[in-house]
Amino acid sequence: MEPIDIGIAVSAGMLVLVILGMRVAFAAAIAGVVGLVWIFWAKFGYDPAQFGKAFTVAAKIAGQVPSSKVSSQALSLIPTFILIGYLAYYAGLTKALFEAAKRWVAWLPGGLAVATVFATAGFAAVSGASVATSAVFARIAIPEMLELGYDKRFAAGVVAAAGTLASLIPPSAILVIYAIIVEQDVGMLLLAGFIPGAFSAVIYASLIIGLAIVYKNFGPPVSGFTWGERFKSLPPASPIFVVVAVIILFVYNPFGGDAWGTPTEGGAIGAFVVFCMALYRGMRWAQLRDALMETAKLAVMIFTIIWGVLIYVRFLGFADLPAAFSDWITSLDQSPMLTLVLILLAYAVLGMFMDAIGMLLLTLPITYPAVMALNGGEYVTAADSAFGMSGPMAGIWFGILVVKMAEFCLITPPIGLNCFVVAGVRDDLSVQDVFKGVMPFFIADAITIALLVAFPAIVLWLPSLA
Amino acid sequence: MAVRSPVLTDNSTLSKIDQSLYRVESWFALLSGIAVFSLMILAVVSVSGRHLFNQPLPGYVDWIEQAMPLIAFMGVAYTQRDGGHIRMDILVSRLKGRALWAVEFITVLMMLAVMLILVWGSWAHFQRSFDFNSPMWSRDSSMDIALPLWPSKLLAPVAFGVLCLRLVLQLVAFGHAFITNATSPPAVPLIEDVVTQAAKEADTVSG
Repeated sequence: MEPIDIGIAVSAGMLVLVILGMRVAFAAAIAGVVGLVWIFWAKFGYDPAQFGKAFTVAAKIAGQVPSSKVSSQALSLIPTFILIGYLAYYAGLTKALFEAAKRWVAWLPGGLAVATVFATAGFAAVSGASVATSAVFARIAIPEMLELGYDKRFAAGVVAAAGTLASLIPPSAILVIYAIIVEQDVGMLLLAGFIPGAFSAVIYASLIIGLAIVYKNFGPPVSGFTWGERFKSLPPASPIFVVVAVIILFVYNPFGGDAWGTPTEGGAIGAFVVFCMALYRGMRWAQLRDALMETAKLAVMIFTIIWGVLIYVRFLGFADLPAAFSDWITSLDQSPMLTLVLILLAYAVLGMFMDAIGMLLLTLPITYPAVMALNGGEYVTAADSAFGMSGPMAGIWFGILVVKMAEFCLITPPIGLNCFVVAGVRDDLSVQDVFKGVMPFFIADAITIALLVAFPAIVLWLPSLA
Repeated sequence: MAVRSPVLTDNSTLSKIDQSLYRVESWFALLSGIAVFSLMILAVVSVSGRHLFNQPLPGYVDWIEQAMPLIAFMGVAYTQRDGGHIRMDILVSRLKGRALWAVEFITVLMMLAVMLILVWGSWAHFQRSFDFNSPMWSRDSSMDIALPLWPSKLLAPVAFGVLCLRLVLQLVAFGHAFITNATSPPAVPLIEDVVTQAAKEADTVSG
């Protein structure tokens, strides 16, 4: 068999393992190790006497991947971002944010739902985890919306959908993972996520306002807050603004001059701010230990997939599969844009059945080079490219698009996790109720994705300044 | 998905071994959590040193790179014990009894095989940088302040070794469940329906 055939056979085998319920990280590692052994043994002409040698070479190549790949400064952002998220609960930021959002925007039609979207978007700025964000706001926002007479399904839909904003707005662990796997600049990606994340929030809010004007069965707007009350609500929520500002300033200095440091430092300083706030709010060793254990657990889960997939990627390189797939994709007799849209649609389907991180890590080693090739290659200039942007910019743009797709999958049936979480928190809501309530936001997300594809400047403007 | 699965305990020897191993694993995971916390403190020291006192922390990046394996590997067995490594459970969650234990046994067996290979491979990686006769027993060192690299390279085979112990224990437990046709065996993560799981997830993060 040619290396490329081995590549296809092993990748197919890996998919079977994943479907059978093998834990994703280990399915990838097994595929990588088996593939390496197979490819080296094939080089020795399948000579039984040489199997031991092929096995040793493969084991040594695979064995150095975990240590050498995780010892990276950029990857240290992942645990730091996770820690920020866990500490944020003890810092009492969720209630403070919801209160602030209520005082500032709840006078709009559908006001409390709009406030929920913005409070969630704000919380996304300290939390990189969509599921957790939905869970928290299901407890805070849904009861208040129900009190005002909102339809319970719609109220649940708002919370489930708004929770997905966490993955785009920095600090986003999933964008860091993307950057590592495709070897793009982490800081640029974090910066790029900011506007599309805020943009998604605005689209959600516009949709709610529109629905509230057309259908009258929404709760009344909440008005009557004085400006004094509004400004008083800001200080308790202020760590959010500090974290956002710090992360941006450590990547890019809008006032000219150098950035203050590296994204790694920015993330850690942000964590420290939230840590101080949590201490002030009465966090003690027992809670801190819980936060650290949970951080460790989530971090190791992500790192295990990373090194598992990187072993598989090592094998893919020997099998030349990504290059072959790119050649095939670029030889298709259709516009590159159509191909890109088809790839994004494939993610929408895949995401209905797979976890976001697992899905991205398993597929990006093959889809990313293909998309880069579609655009005209890694080093293409904007003028010569198919999508009208340079190679690195295309890498950033595609990253934001796939992460948005992965987010979309958190609210689509049958396993949209955010919807399950919201239903799990509320006894009076079934999962079907939440899926019904979240339906309007499918349209909002489809519009957002279409606009991000049609106007890449929304994504690329901020990174192009830095 | 499957962030946290329930693991039952009882008075059997198997469950007692499970709980002892869990204590070791928890300790390893806490170490990894403390490493994350240290990264945060290190950054505060480094940034404030540079901006306020014009005195950067020497070897800041070296320390981060050496601490990363601590975070990335130490909790690997702890997470496996609690069923925290993600998987697609649409199919397995439909299985019951012997069929379920058989599938779990086979997947764990394959994991054990690949982890044994990786213990060997990562040990070889460690050995290439370790030498009793060199200064600090080290053949290679970090870029900036010349930290020896072997301690961080040693973490992978150690953590993977503990994971192998955990996998052997799970093999025995799943095998025992298969033979006795148990409905809810101890010492292994059980599959929960997604709603219960979500409710628990929500409980842990509300504060």
